[in-house]
Amino acid sequence: MKTARIVLVAVGVLVLVVGVAVLLSDVSPRRYLGLGAWLLGALVVHDAVIAPVVLGVGALLRRAGRRMPGGVLVIVQVALVVAAVVTALVMPEVFKRGIGTANPTVLPLDYGVNLALFYVGLAVATGVAIAAYLAVRRRAAVGASED
Amino acid sequence: MIHEVLQSLSRVFASPARSPRMAVVLGRLLGAAFLVCMVTGLYSHAIQEPQPWMVFPTRPIQLYQVSQGLHITAGIACFPLLLGKLYAVQGRLFETPPVRSFPHFLERASITVFVASSIVQLVIGLLNTYQWYQLFPFPFRQTHFALSFVVIGSLAIHIGVKLPVIARHWSRVPDGSRPDNSSEPPAPSTVSVGGVTGRVLRWIDASPRPVSPGASRRGFLAAIGAATAALVAFTAGQSFRALDGLNLFGARKQGVGPQSLPVNRTAAAARVEQTALAPDWRLTVSGPAGTRSFSRDELAAMPQTEVVLPIACVEGWSQSATWRGVRVRELAALVGGGPESSVVFQSLEQRSSYARTEMGPEFARDDLSLVALELNGETLDLDHGYPARVIAPARPGVLQTKWLSSLEVSET
Repeated sequence: MKTARIVLVAVGVLVLVVGVAVLLSDVSPRRYLGLGAWLLGALVVHDAVIAPVVLGVGALLRRAGRRMPGGVLVIVQVALVVAAVVTALVMPEVFKRGIGTANPTVLPLDYGVNLALFYVGLAVATGVAIAAYLAVRRRAAVGASED
Repeated sequence: MIHEVLQSLSRVFASPARSPRMAVVLGRLLGAAFLVCMVTGLYSHAIQEPQPWMVFPTRPIQLYQVSQGLHITAGIACFPLLLGKLYAVQGRLFETPPVRSFPHFLERASITVFVASSIVQLVIGLLNTYQWYQLFPFPFRQTHFALSFVVIGSLAIHIGVKLPVIARHWSRVPDGSRPDNSSEPPAPSTVSVGGVTGRVLRWIDASPRPVSPGASRRGFLAAIGAATAALVAFTAGQSFRALDGLNLFGARKQGVGPQSLPVNRTAAAARVEQTALAPDWRLTVSGPAGTRSFSRDELAAMPQTEVVLPIACVEGWSQSATWRGVRVRELAALVGGGPESSVVFQSLEQRSSYARTEMGPEFARDDLSLVALELNGETLDLDHGYPARVIAPARPGVLQTKWLSSLEVSET
């Protein structure tokens, strides 16, 4: 294990140095500031925006869902995570399509409408999953009381 | 005070989904996806900027289509995997004390580099699929190439540092015997925190957990899995025909474009409309045995070959099409070229790094490599490279030079 760790760290440092060397040789120095801002911005956006919002929404859900059956709460949480991730990746497409693309074959779909369709499908799937979960629970409860 | 807030925060962060085991489960998937991106990315880079000694396979004809389709699809799958992985280790962000020792400092520094570079890498890769270059003040290709080494290097360091934890949690352990089960919330701090922070924390603590740890863990994995599956299912149709019917969110759609084929760079963008439509256009072919030139009618009068080949863009989209034209090797033979000849193609386009491309002998002698004049049974559309363009198997679209003006055949 110790050898493997040393090798991994050593190879990692080597590859990292190669990456920085390629960056310094291939990207012009006047671009460093912009790239640095992006790297820093990525940390800020994740650590100071995404993480606290996820934490807050999670806490709210926990509080709001305390009278829900546990399984229902989990299913709702799963649906919200899926909706949030897909929205985060599709909204830039909606926006870019709005301001125009290099040619009509780039972003050719109506992403806003498709996103709405996706929400409808997700809501239906969530409803079906909750109904199935509650049905199984009821049957288990009935089975237990008959015993 | 800060110490108490951090401690309370780590209590709030404590969740069954935030365990070393979860970090290992997601880390494996994320590592595999990053590896796929790195290998396919290096292949794409090598074929675009080959070293003189490099030889590339020309079969299967879908090789580049599949490799680049995997690159983009795995990259998209990385978004939910990375977000899930970061969520699983979020509590670490508020560790107290923030730095314990020099190795601990190095560990946190390498993670910082990894997180920042992989977020930027994924975001600029996604934006590149719809050519939104205005958004970042640095060149895409060079930065994406360099950052790939930074990402993989810092990932290797991270794996090296965490290897004992990874080994301990590689396979499932029964809940009770988990060695350092951080899913158990730490004992509540006896020091009460005042002010708004304290009230918020007490309010959260007042909500009992309605869900068992097992259900919570399964729910978290289901959320990340479903988000990944949804993104892949609804975008991969841009690269893989079988999923075309599900393509809701892909940056391209098969069958959309002139002659039912997407376009990356139009004739207007390349500023070749006048030169490409000029009635006196001729294709100059030069080689060891001299120089000849052909009008479009003369090329069309030569023996024609029909091939079905995909056009596969570095941006991930691809589509198969029927092309008709003159074999590259038959044109090369007219000026003394042989099976070991390579060919340099020059486009009418003036200001592009891909206006001049080189084709190695393995592609130039291939039966399927054409100077194409027709696409899907019609004269090549101006945006697809009229009057003549290159099409060859297992190569990126950016090398399938459009609006040809000359071929230079040379022995290698």
